[in-house]
Amino acid sequence: MSTVSVRYIVDDVDAAIAFYCVHLGFSEQMHPNPAFAMLTRGDLRLVLVAPVPAGHPGGGSRPMPDGTEQRPGGWNRFMLEVPDIAAAASELRDGGVRFRNEIVTGVGVKQVMIEDPSGNPVELFEPLRAEARLDPSALQPRPLRAVLPQHSG
Amino acid sequence: MAADPLDALRLPVVPVEPRPQFAAALQRQIEAAEATAEPAAAKPAESPGAAPSQTPTVRYFVDDLETAVAFYRGRLGFDEELIAAPSFAMLYRGGLRLLLSVPGVPGAGAPLPDGTVPEAGGWNRISLQVADLAGTVEALRQAGVRVRAGVTAGVAVRQALIQDPSGNLVELIEPTAGYRDRT
Repeated sequence: MSTVSVRYIVDDVDAAIAFYCVHLGFSEQMHPNPAFAMLTRGDLRLVLVAPVPAGHPGGGSRPMPDGTEQRPGGWNRFMLEVPDIAAAASELRDGGVRFRNEIVTGVGVKQVMIEDPSGNPVELFEPLRAEARLDPSALQPRPLRAVLPQHSG
Repeated sequence: MAADPLDALRLPVVPVEPRPQFAAALQRQIEAAEATAEPAAAKPAESPGAAPSQTPTVRYFVDDLETAVAFYRGRLGFDEELIAAPSFAMLYRGGLRLLLSVPGVPGAGAPLPDGTVPEAGGWNRISLQVADLAGTVEALRQAGVRVRAGVTAGVAVRQALIQDPSGNLVELIEPTAGYRDRT
């Protein structure tokens, strides 16, 4: 099974480890120095890094060649499927987790965005129909007739 | 000397663009077809309360769906699973599902209650492993892809940062000594 890696920039790696492990079911794989940790959840590997100065051995969070520093935040995020989003949201709220929005019903899913302690978004969603599920085998293949040219005779 | 009569049968050589993920996509389609053929296998997908899938999934915001899909397919070997133009696409590369959403439309791109609209960019990113990082980055650069940070050495990896047409970062890594693929 292939591992999928996502890198999040965080202000405080220890606080981020606690957040992802306590609230979202991640496991710590390594935390060799204060600026770096690697967590896993299923096939997702989440790499947490704090901004480091140029010349730091860890290369993932150094400033860009033009000097721009990396920061937490933005809108791009990984997503986690939950069976009951209302229950999950309620539990997280009780646990003091920050929300960016309320539960939104979109096309095929209900979704909500939470934030880690550094303000990075994580999206939780509950599928409302099979195509929205994450399991590729749940996708309905198109019947061949639909994609082959129709016989005009 | 008369022309070879067989010349009429010869076909011009057409360069074929390699699509590394083609076999994986085909496999998924076959497996999906097989899964649907058996009602027992298809059932969990429709029953509420089924165990949540753990397929790693990431959502990126993009300014223009068509350009983004072309970039991820053409430059990074993603395969498309679903395109709901003009605001949403779902792509795959290996075990990663990448969702592309256009800001400002209902659903994931909808403005927040305070009016803030999602946008492309930021520093969080997917990290894709490649076999020949220097060669890959050079090929991408020549193809006009923006390279935000060229190849640098980190701990157990070499890495580079490229940008999609909307400015989202994609990290490319090549493992070096000491890299742990899976623990």
